[in-house]
Amino acid sequence: MMGIDIAIHRYTLTSAFGRGLAATRAGLMGGRSMLATHVLEDGFPCAIGRVPGIEDVVVPERLARYDCRNNRLAQLALETDGFGDAVAAVIREVGAGRVGVVIGTSTSGIATTEAAYRSAAFAKEGTLAADFPYRETHNVFSCADFVRRYLGAQGPALVVSTACSSSAKAFVAAARLVASRTCRAVIVGGVDSLCDTTLYGFHSLGLLSRGHPRPFSADRDGIGIGEAAGFALVGSPELFGARGGLHLVGAGESADAYHMTAPHPEALGAREAIAAALRDAAWGPGDVDYVHLHGTGTLHNDAAEDRGLARLGLATTPAGSTKGAVGHTLGAAGMCGVAFVGQGMDAGFMPGTANTLARDPAFHSDLLLAGRPGVIRRALVNTFGFGGSNCSLALEWRP
Amino acid sequence: MTIYVAGFGVLGPGLPDAEACRAVLRAEETYQAGAVRVPVAEGLSANEARRCPTTARYVLDVGRQALRAAGWDAAGVATVLSSGSGDLEILDKNCRALAGTPVALSPTLFHNSVHNAAGGYWGIATGSRAATTSLSAYDDSFAAGLLEALTTVAPGRPCLLVAYDLPPPAALASVRKVSAPFAVALALSMEAPEGPCAGLSWEWGQASGEGASRMTSPALEALRLGNPAARSLPLLRALCGRRSETLSWAYPEGGALTVAIRFDA
Repeated sequence: MMGIDIAIHRYTLTSAFGRGLAATRAGLMGGRSMLATHVLEDGFPCAIGRVPGIEDVVVPERLARYDCRNNRLAQLALETDGFGDAVAAVIREVGAGRVGVVIGTSTSGIATTEAAYRSAAFAKEGTLAADFPYRETHNVFSCADFVRRYLGAQGPALVVSTACSSSAKAFVAAARLVASRTCRAVIVGGVDSLCDTTLYGFHSLGLLSRGHPRPFSADRDGIGIGEAAGFALVGSPELFGARGGLHLVGAGESADAYHMTAPHPEALGAREAIAAALRDAAWGPGDVDYVHLHGTGTLHNDAAEDRGLARLGLATTPAGSTKGAVGHTLGAAGMCGVAFVGQGMDAGFMPGTANTLARDPAFHSDLLLAGRPGVIRRALVNTFGFGGSNCSLALEWRP
Repeated sequence: MTIYVAGFGVLGPGLPDAEACRAVLRAEETYQAGAVRVPVAEGLSANEARRCPTTARYVLDVGRQALRAAGWDAAGVATVLSSGSGDLEILDKNCRALAGTPVALSPTLFHNSVHNAAGGYWGIATGSRAATTSLSAYDDSFAAGLLEALTTVAPGRPCLLVAYDLPPPAALASVRKVSAPFAVALALSMEAPEGPCAGLSWEWGQASGEGASRMTSPALEALRLGNPAARSLPLLRALCGRRSETLSWAYPEGGALTVAIRFDA
């Protein structure tokens, strides 16, 4: 992608920090971990970042078949910070057909199918009941389908699902729809919810932290999984009256072409994504005020990311990982990064790295352990996913 | 803006490759479904080939076909992979493992279950570190993928679109209908390749009264409706018959992708 310039007109986030931007900002500045211990069936104590209140969400009657944890979480976020109203206003202004929907998710509503496979009916019949709402809950497109129907958007709708880079790449796909004038505005989102597939899946790979994740520390031993839903209403700066605020001004995407789950040891793919984001934004490394690290807390991912940043001249740039605070929200990680950086820009605050007491002495990055006051005008948000799918976003704050 | 089709690949019942596809789609009445050729997963080590799921084999097969037809090396070619349901066979195995006691989820099956697994295998098999994305729009996944691929192409930056879906295993057959395996790949670029080729221009708008473009042969129309990736058949027919025409793919909730195909050379 060359020369992105997309205004992020409005955004919202609901994560383990709580519901909405005020809770998000308070959580970021408080610097506490919101993770709780969750014991797996084999007694393994991992950490999860749960969003309270999902159980109480009631989806509208007309969308009853879409009812699942992932879509309830999406609805919770859509009904926060006036996001749904902002979308309604833009739809009135430009027309529903000119507003697209691009959601990043890795889990979708798979928990619904997990539960169905455990049911007595499945054990007896060996198949799911014909009225099981696979399409509306579990199918990977479910969340974008739910969101477009919930908000009445009629532009192109799709889900980007590239594991942990999903919602970062959703921003880039949205930027392409706007740049090509296919859409005037796009509802971008990242929605991922807790489910056994990811908990037991990452455990099977030995990638879950026993206890709490400690990104970039010498004794890091894996991730803690969180859930989150966030949305951003984006469009060309002209649509939003060239107002100031948060803008996406560059993006870099790459593949590792190396291994399905392990990052390239020299972080080749990650480096290419970050370098491409810098090129796209026409920034040098010295222009970057803050890096929101992918910083998952696994042995190899953190080492590769640290090496990649150093090779690109970003070792002296303040950097932080929020994964110890709210967990790794997988498909929602990019959306979380955008919201956290946006709030940091707004508050004049550089988020730190909750749970981590000291940086791995072998690393070179300027890791912020505690958050601190500081002006962020330009920031990178890194996301690197399974299957070697990398995406780095360049965000700029305009007065 | 015009985007050119530099080549395509296909694998489905009665459509083992582009050449056979060309013959069939020029005379639809000759179509016979038949068995589907086993896809070729070229470029993987023995270990990776053993782990490579069937969906990724289809992607590697048709993707390589399209690159060969275009005369491109995979390096520097961005990929857009679109699938309505991803790999349901792996999903079924994982959900069974999660329902068992004790839970015994296979790490290989878990990493193969991500929607972008095929994209990961594409990178490993070809060595390409170009951008790759994986998406879904359920039954509208071909149109969504085509739109993403058309907007990904930039000067000097070609893009390979691959759309694929496979029938579900028995446990999921009651809730997801995919009638036959089908995969298609289109090599797209902003630079016109040598010789006669199709130029595509597109717009998003309201669906016309006609709705989606259809196939004439009932068997091909059944295939088109039976697999989200086979929604590409009207476009393949235009490419094979060098027909300049306008096609549309309507979303059920309103809106449609309309693509004008022009053969000027």
